[in-house]
Amino acid sequence: MRKSKDLRRIVVVGHVDHGKSTLLARIMLQLECIPEDKIQRVQDYCQSKGSSFEPAFLLDAFHEEQEQGVSIETTQAKFEFKGNGYLLVDAPGHLEFLKNMTTGASGTETALLLVDCQQGIRSQTLRHLKVLEILGLSEIIVVINKMDEVAYSQEAFDKISTSIKTLISAENLHCQAVVPVSAYLNENIDQPSAKLPWYKGLPLLETLAAVCDKQEERDDENDPFRMILQDVYRFENKRHFAGRVVSGQIKPGSAILFSPSGKISTVTSIEKYPNQVNVASSGESIALQLDEQVYVERGEIISFPDDAPEVDKEILGRAIWLSQEPFIPGATYTVKIGTMEAPATVHLIDTAEDLAEEPIKEPITNGSFVDVLIRSSVPLAFDRSIGPAETRCFVICSETSTLAAGSIDIHARARIQKSARNRNITAEKGYTERQKYETKNGHRGTVLWLTGLPGAGKSSLAKALEHHLFANDYHVVALDADNLRAGISSDLGFSAKDRSENIRRIGQVAKLFLDTGSIVIVACISPFSADREAVRNIVGADDFKEIFVYCPIEACQKRDPKGLYQQANSGKLKSMTGVTSSYQPPRLPALKLDSTVMSIEEEVQAVLELLLAGGIIEKPNSLTSATKAGNKNKSSR
Amino acid sequence: MADYLDQIEDESIFIIREAYKKIKNLALLWSMGKDSTVLLHLVKKAFLGNVPIPLVHIDTSYKIPEMIEWRDSFVKKHNLRLIVGMNKEALANGMGPAQGRLTCCGALKTQALLNVTSEQEIQGLLVGIRRDEEGSRAKERVVSPRSASSTWTYKEQPAEVWHYYNLHVPTNIHLRIHPLLHWTELNVWEYIRRENLQVMPLYFAKDGKRYRSLGCWPCTGTIESEAQNIDDIISELKITRVGERAGRAQDQADSHAMQKLRKDGYM
Repeated sequence: MRKSKDLRRIVVVGHVDHGKSTLLARIMLQLECIPEDKIQRVQDYCQSKGSSFEPAFLLDAFHEEQEQGVSIETTQAKFEFKGNGYLLVDAPGHLEFLKNMTTGASGTETALLLVDCQQGIRSQTLRHLKVLEILGLSEIIVVINKMDEVAYSQEAFDKISTSIKTLISAENLHCQAVVPVSAYLNENIDQPSAKLPWYKGLPLLETLAAVCDKQEERDDENDPFRMILQDVYRFENKRHFAGRVVSGQIKPGSAILFSPSGKISTVTSIEKYPNQVNVASSGESIALQLDEQVYVERGEIISFPDDAPEVDKEILGRAIWLSQEPFIPGATYTVKIGTMEAPATVHLIDTAEDLAEEPIKEPITNGSFVDVLIRSSVPLAFDRSIGPAETRCFVICSETSTLAAGSIDIHARARIQKSARNRNITAEKGYTERQKYETKNGHRGTVLWLTGLPGAGKSSLAKALEHHLFANDYHVVALDADNLRAGISSDLGFSAKDRSENIRRIGQVAKLFLDTGSIVIVACISPFSADREAVRNIVGADDFKEIFVYCPIEACQKRDPKGLYQQANSGKLKSMTGVTSSYQPPRLPALKLDSTVMSIEEEVQAVLELLLAGGIIEKPNSLTSATKAGNKNKSSR
Repeated sequence: MADYLDQIEDESIFIIREAYKKIKNLALLWSMGKDSTVLLHLVKKAFLGNVPIPLVHIDTSYKIPEMIEWRDSFVKKHNLRLIVGMNKEALANGMGPAQGRLTCCGALKTQALLNVTSEQEIQGLLVGIRRDEEGSRAKERVVSPRSASSTWTYKEQPAEVWHYYNLHVPTNIHLRIHPLLHWTELNVWEYIRRENLQVMPLYFAKDGKRYRSLGCWPCTGTIESEAQNIDDIISELKITRVGERAGRAQDQADSHAMQKLRKDGYM
């Protein structure tokens, strides 16, 4: 979702009683954002109870909250700091109010994690971190509170700071800063504190501003266009397709695809009453008029035809259970993604045996984290690693309420593997390290991942590259997805799930060769960003070079080297990328090669330059000097 | 990058469209105040110039007289469908602020609203409350289920994550939908100015006083102000440190008055 320049949304999380409400109230007091009559009322109230002024009461408005000194519901506090607006959402720390914490945190962009300096990491600290990961909220500022109670000790701070940083990276999140404060006594909030001379960083509010500045630099121009369809209105004999753009942008004249129905049309105008607009971006509520009548209903995701969401009846996800009503594995619930609502059975994924169900050991109830397989009765459209929360995250509902919130998980399989490892497998160490292989080979290893439509020229390029590198004495191996299907993946079909699994296996094989210092060339359609991202995780981002072999679908159809397009068009092939199944081009490939204008030699040359720039190979190689003699630096075998 | 008013406008329109799609008998609770004026305008935008739902006004008979005149002429001018709810039985038995402010609000507002929703079989109400008005409203959800007796079970509010609102209406319950929940008083006035909306003249200062919030005459006071127009009000709000409902007597009736009123179904 496009961020507004005017309001930065931040959620404040942490264990109960670590001082969240106090911190919010303190900030509001310092910035003079609280009406005087409200301060007066709280002062009177505290006086009447015979206690000293409690800033947290400014936010904890419920009678029970003030009596018991805990927050039950989320509260929001708005303030301005150095020209930017901020919205802080105070999320309750008690386990029983976890659903309120989740409610508060969804829709925010950054998290402040509060930790009591004396108490350190507690159960809710950990739980809240896991929730943040599911919500896709990865940027975290840690606030070590109640520094006054440890006499502003640097030692105490360092100790907690180290352990919390380890914890955060273990949950796949990023720690942006660790800031010591005393919210109650106003130390290091809006101004540096004289009591913390050893602290070299910025005070809390300045830190917050700096982290938000950095986040806003992110360029969202390349985000895929997604709109969720809410309703179709008929006014004055015209049909208006009403919904919200949740990612990317749309202009009149664009061809659009509805998923999961697969219907296609063209936008004639974009309405934002009382105007028609020339462009609509992420966040905007609009209505489209189309050039031809398509009959679609609420629940579709609208995209461009060449960059569509995935469609499948099964999804893997990671969710948090948010209700006292216990989860019944295998039961039918309503699953919502985008504006789609579908009856679906929800199964627990056994973390030891891939996708097999296992009887539950303990009841899954409020606060449990579950890895689930969702089997819908109708096809669902969704995104995995790319795309906004609206199309990537789901909720599981009963008839009346939201029971669980989750995100479609690209790491689901990796987690299953990891968990299997944790149970009874220990990696054997002591084999020859990759670096030793590389020294002996005389060059570094890497993975060149060639992705593109069928017929785009991946295999041709892979062959030319392999021949060239082989001729020049590099340790090279080519993995052609079509060839691997005959062996290592011979048990897999062409369902979305099987295609994902095939890519995962190729990624793992590539990793094995990479560990021997080889240059691994992979030719694989790999149509979905999420699967390629999963491979990036397997082999490591530094060693994963995504190369987009581009060719327009029309040209691929004309080439049709294996006759696949002909079969797909005649209906003989059910799942064919580019025809009946979508292809998601890479957002930021290491290299994009247009095979309609480049010769194969030019493509090879471009890849060699990429390898040279990455320090994988050391000296320029041209095709003309592609002989064994041309490589004097190579060690002989 | 989107302007903030655009962003909250888009958000509210999304919520209104969700409610209209999912709820059979949806209505707009309209008090003619600045917030419900904005809400009505957003409904019109959501439905491309149309207002496909009725307006409900709860008339306590104690409203400031100019409000009722303004209401009738506005409805006529814009050709709107208006349903007026009034607890005639309580009024006949002499209900009024003298019986105690909270009792009076309970009978003439809460009970009247309950009567009208059940008579008209209204399953969902768009209500223009905002988080920044007072503490208990700050704890609201965008969609808030009310039982047959209108009760707000604030300790058991369902989870509301991302854009997934629980708009299923069980029997004997009506839903309150709060599309303006994230707006502030200042946002409301800035939006009124930007969209050039017509508001009641009672908001503008006369003899150094104006209404900041409108309600029943016995319980609604004016504030000291020189704000003659919308620009003046916006400048005033940017510097004031007095709460919006400081002039509303029922809020101050006891230290948790609004929480108690709202638990029983007060708007």
